[in-house]
Amino acid sequence: MFCPAQTMSLVTLNPGAGHAVKSALAEKGVQGPIRIELRFTGCCDASLGLSMDTAHESDLVEEVDGLTFVISPETHQLVGEVRISYADETGRRGFVLTSSKPVSEWDGFAAGSIRM
Amino acid sequence: MEQYKLFIDGEFVDAKDGKTFESIDPGTGLPFATVAKAGKADAEAAIAAARRAFDKGDWSGLDVSARIAKLQDFADQISRQGVRMVMTECMDAGQIVGYAKIIVMWSSLLLRNLATYAATKFPWEEEVLASGNAFTPGREFVRREPVGVCVGIVPWNFPTTLAMWKIAPALIIGNTIVVKPASNTPLTAVILAEAAQAAGIPKGVFNVIPGPGGELGKTLCTHPDVDKIAFTGSTEVGREIMRMASDTVKRVTLELGGKSANIILDDADMDLAVEGAVFGTFLHQGQICESGTRVLVPSKIYDEFLDKMKERAEALRIGYQLDPTSHMGPVVSKEQLATVEHYVKLGKEEGAQLVTGGKRVEVKGMEGGYYYAPTIFANVNNKMRIAQEEIFGPVVCVIKYDSDEEAVAIANDSIYGLAGGVFSSNIARAERVARAVRTGTMWINNFHVFAEYCPFGGYKQSGVGRELGHWGLEEYTQVKRIHVPYYSDRNTNFGFTLLSDNKKIEGFNYNCPTNVIAGHGCLSAIYKVIVDLGCRRAMILTDPGVRKAGLADLVKNTLVDFCVGIYDNIPPDPDLESVDGAVDKARELKADCIVSVGGGSVIDAGKTVCVALKNGGKANDYINRWWALSEPQTPHIVVPTTAGTGSEVTNAAVITDKIAERKLFIADPKITPNAAILDPRFTMTLPKDMTVGSAMDAMTHAIEAVTSTMANQICDGQAFHAIRLISENLPLVVADGKNEKARLNMQIAATMAGWSFTIAQVGLAHCMAHTVGTLHHVPHGAACGIVLPHVMRFNVDHAAGKLALVAQALGIDTKGMNERDAALAAADAVEALMKKVGHPMRLRDVGVPEEDLFRCSLHAIADSNILFNARPVSDPMDVYNIYRQAY
Repeated sequence: MFCPAQTMSLVTLNPGAGHAVKSALAEKGVQGPIRIELRFTGCCDASLGLSMDTAHESDLVEEVDGLTFVISPETHQLVGEVRISYADETGRRGFVLTSSKPVSEWDGFAAGSIRM
Repeated sequence: MEQYKLFIDGEFVDAKDGKTFESIDPGTGLPFATVAKAGKADAEAAIAAARRAFDKGDWSGLDVSARIAKLQDFADQISRQGVRMVMTECMDAGQIVGYAKIIVMWSSLLLRNLATYAATKFPWEEEVLASGNAFTPGREFVRREPVGVCVGIVPWNFPTTLAMWKIAPALIIGNTIVVKPASNTPLTAVILAEAAQAAGIPKGVFNVIPGPGGELGKTLCTHPDVDKIAFTGSTEVGREIMRMASDTVKRVTLELGGKSANIILDDADMDLAVEGAVFGTFLHQGQICESGTRVLVPSKIYDEFLDKMKERAEALRIGYQLDPTSHMGPVVSKEQLATVEHYVKLGKEEGAQLVTGGKRVEVKGMEGGYYYAPTIFANVNNKMRIAQEEIFGPVVCVIKYDSDEEAVAIANDSIYGLAGGVFSSNIARAERVARAVRTGTMWINNFHVFAEYCPFGGYKQSGVGRELGHWGLEEYTQVKRIHVPYYSDRNTNFGFTLLSDNKKIEGFNYNCPTNVIAGHGCLSAIYKVIVDLGCRRAMILTDPGVRKAGLADLVKNTLVDFCVGIYDNIPPDPDLESVDGAVDKARELKADCIVSVGGGSVIDAGKTVCVALKNGGKANDYINRWWALSEPQTPHIVVPTTAGTGSEVTNAAVITDKIAERKLFIADPKITPNAAILDPRFTMTLPKDMTVGSAMDAMTHAIEAVTSTMANQICDGQAFHAIRLISENLPLVVADGKNEKARLNMQIAATMAGWSFTIAQVGLAHCMAHTVGTLHHVPHGAACGIVLPHVMRFNVDHAAGKLALVAQALGIDTKGMNERDAALAAADAVEALMKKVGHPMRLRDVGVPEEDLFRCSLHAIADSNILFNARPVSDPMDVYNIYRQAY
């Protein structure tokens, strides 16, 4: 059973982020829920990332700006509300995820792409 | 709770905004210390302090021994804090005490040992003995200087050790540093600051600012006063740091993620391999960048290995980190615990088989701690995310394979390349596998072995640069070259002539060290010469004609037992392959000396053989190299059988490169033969055409030397006398090849001409002759002779005085002539001599096709000797016109 978030927001999109997500999905020709997940990119510091995935029964789901985001309850409990922005600067292009309860001290430092 | 502060400019201070944060003991989940939380202003203050300290020079300008002595004091102070540091490291990072006591102690040793290495063995200054620049000799040396202000960003898994990996090399080299410890584990870096303060490290040299990376990172990585960043952490953050650092072009070393393969070969000692896999994975709860979290096991031992590994993993005791009986402690934080759980869940979803673990562990009395069971996944496909992404927890993937090649392919199928292991009872086989894995460290029958003198760092997305050892020290240096020329004179600076119409070089360095022995029967001197050179195994190098004439055997008999063989397969205009053949033979014979018996081709081949023998490799490794040798080469004795090339005393060898369609050089004083034996008996049988051709080669050497921009009085003296000797004696030997006195005079002339052009160089005639020699196989001497008078006329307005003297040396009475007419008379005299001795006069006579003259001009103008021609040559049409005149 999907569990839509009722009491608090799961995810907030900064201006431009929703459009960037849609563009990325369109470019790859994919559709479906976008998972907000913990991931590890090497030595010491976990971070939050986005991936295309199927929704699991226990997932928390939220529609924002016409996009469906899913997150496991465990991850949501750990990180709180997730804010997604899109960086488009020289040499730095991608999605920057921060959370109300930062997953590491480097929260929001790096930009990443959506795992397809 | 203990309270820790920032350490900036030699003082312990609160954060400017007064913020603090708590450090949590992961074994209990409870805070046990508070720490000042640095913000942007504190980071800027620390950078400013480090900048001031560096620029002031109290540290960077210290004599190395004084700086090292101070760092030994620092190491002593760290030792004094040893017990406190071990306890703090355990409580901060969750390291088990049995491990923490070793690696914290290592931090002090590392500093002491690297400092001693730097004081005694590090090349702070290096001489560049062979600069490779033939035009501007002088002292060339390199100094290693500090980079400046460094930033060290330290992760939480080994807070003391990895801080010291950055602090030690930075300070040893003379840099200043700002250390940002991980927010999970900030304390021991502050204790290191206490040790530094106690040791009297000058203010601002070492600064510590605990605080959040996301907030401080931008300031640290973009501040214009920061010169270098050393970061250990995630690839994602490292990539961003690299990008930020690029704006101000900072030096960066990054030690990032890993997903190391631990390859168990089918002949491995099973118990050792299982222990290596368990140790490689579960040490420090798997929170080590290089952990061998992909264990690759052959199919035929897979099940047995897995059973044993499961048994061994389940026997590990998980407990509070300060309990000395614990094998594993907690992971560092609740976030880390959640991440591990996330990946275990993912592994199950991906279809991997959970063999053991996969759950939290409750430790009695420590219920708030972050403990997780050692976890093994079997039947893992290397494409699965749990095999591709670093989990940084006690989770291992055991992957099946069927051949060594497949194991290597799986190991290399990763974005990372930090480390790895191979277990085998056959070291040679293990090493073959280790070499094939693209990774920064490979351990054979071991894992997690570090040493302060051995480098650590990654291939691929595991990082940039190396830490530890000589290589780690180098990362904190700038390399400065200092050049001090032989000549501080505007008229002896070859480079300055490029912006001047005066191309003449005034000063010179005359270095012609060959021992010349001349006279009838002087061959017997070779028996003493070879002993003087310390040699006992001479290989004679010659050509088939000289061998047939019995000359090589004459030398062999004179060498008695010192000759180990004769190689007689050197062709005219030797190419790379023919030289390599001689090198192979010399190696086979274990020759320690080359005796070249022949003309210029043999002697030049001999020079190249000596270089390859001394330095290894093939001839192609050494051609087209100028002034690149830094030590004496294999000894070389020459017995010329012609009188022309002068190669017996010159510092150059000409070898044909068929692919480049060029004659290429080795030019280096170190290839000058050790001894030349001018015994006229060796030229008595030289045919007339070769006698004439080689004589005109010598004549061209001498005339081009005196007119060269590099000409000098010693060379002039030799060249004019050589011209005189050739002019007088060539007709005599043509008339009577057995005229031994004239033959000897021709040998001496050739040698003197050789000496003259060794220093003064040659010019356009040689460029043109080299070209038609390479492209159309015109004998070198004949080609030189044909073009020489035409080049003399071309040069007349740039070398009239010298050419007028050449005319006199050729026997022309120049009285009543103006200088220019006398110079032109010299060209006429050369032609007259050539006609007299039957020398070919035109290029058409020696097989050069007319339609190829323009291509020849393009080749000739690219010959390096063009640089020294009396008249500057920049237009290939000038060369083409001369070719046409000579055609």
